[in-house]
Amino acid sequence: METQNFEKQLTEMEKPEIHNLKHEDILSGAIINAKDKSVVSWWWLCVPIFILLMLMMKSTFMPGTTLISNMHDLESKQKLISVAFFLVSPLILIIINVLTIRKIHFLSGSPKSLSFLEAVWFNILIIAVSAFILIIYSL
Amino acid sequence: MDETDLLNRIRQHPENFSEIFRLYYKPIFGYIIRRTGSFDDTADIAADTFLKAFRNINNFKYTGISVKVWLYRIATNEVNLYFRNIQKHTSVFQRIDANDKKIFIDYITDDRKEAEYELNRHEQFMSVLKELKTLPVKYQEVISLRYFEGKENKEIAEILDINEGTLKSLLSRGVEKLRKKCNQI
Repeated sequence: METQNFEKQLTEMEKPEIHNLKHEDILSGAIINAKDKSVVSWWWLCVPIFILLMLMMKSTFMPGTTLISNMHDLESKQKLISVAFFLVSPLILIIINVLTIRKIHFLSGSPKSLSFLEAVWFNILIIAVSAFILIIYSL
Repeated sequence: MDETDLLNRIRQHPENFSEIFRLYYKPIFGYIIRRTGSFDDTADIAADTFLKAFRNINNFKYTGISVKVWLYRIATNEVNLYFRNIQKHTSVFQRIDANDKKIFIDYITDDRKEAEYELNRHEQFMSVLKELKTLPVKYQEVISLRYFEGKENKEIAEILDINEGTLKSLLSRGVEKLRKKCNQI
């Protein structure tokens, strides 16, 4: 009974109302003209892909070498760079893109259809490429 | 108004987003201010809500939930981030054209005065809100949507993306907790 009365009180209680907002039109213009300044982009994946392609070419044109042996060769010469490009950046990109897919799922109204895949295909592609680099590196 | 038609027009000409802004900015602003009780925080959160909506409007697919429900969903999430104190606000206000900036500051000063006057004259609401803000966010959002916004359970369940059974149990536990807190005043 007490709870019911309290609910009635909450429903009937006067609440503050917003009738007029002068800043609305200027803000609307600023939002429509706002550019996305996100620093997270697929360009971060270009460097490891470039190195990987170079190593692939090396393994194709130099007899007796393979992609994996070339990667290990690079690792023995440039340990820090290979860890940064073949381990750290793909891992970061996978995490960022998984979080982005989650965010897009939320912001696109939680669709349950193929249309969601259309919206996130590029993120999935980045995850796949990053995973490929990680697998090759760990072999 | 046909929302799919509006969404298509926005896809073709993004400036048509101003129609969504015109329709929903005030109700969403009202909802946020009734959750936070602060004009400045509300202005930031509302701007972030519409910025996110604008950037993701092309990803929004009409799958049964309306644009209005979608905006309430984003706003609720933004308010929750604000309560968890992890939200980094975008600087939409800094992107306002230099010519408009002075007018914008004048307008926002007027809006702040009006909103603060409105908040101050609702003492009972503000004291309930103060107690509500001490409850976990999951209770705050359901109580606010049900009793402050007057929404039906079906719509609240859509906004929060939960089923109606969960909503009813959250509401009953939340109201009981709030009642006990308010009785202690």
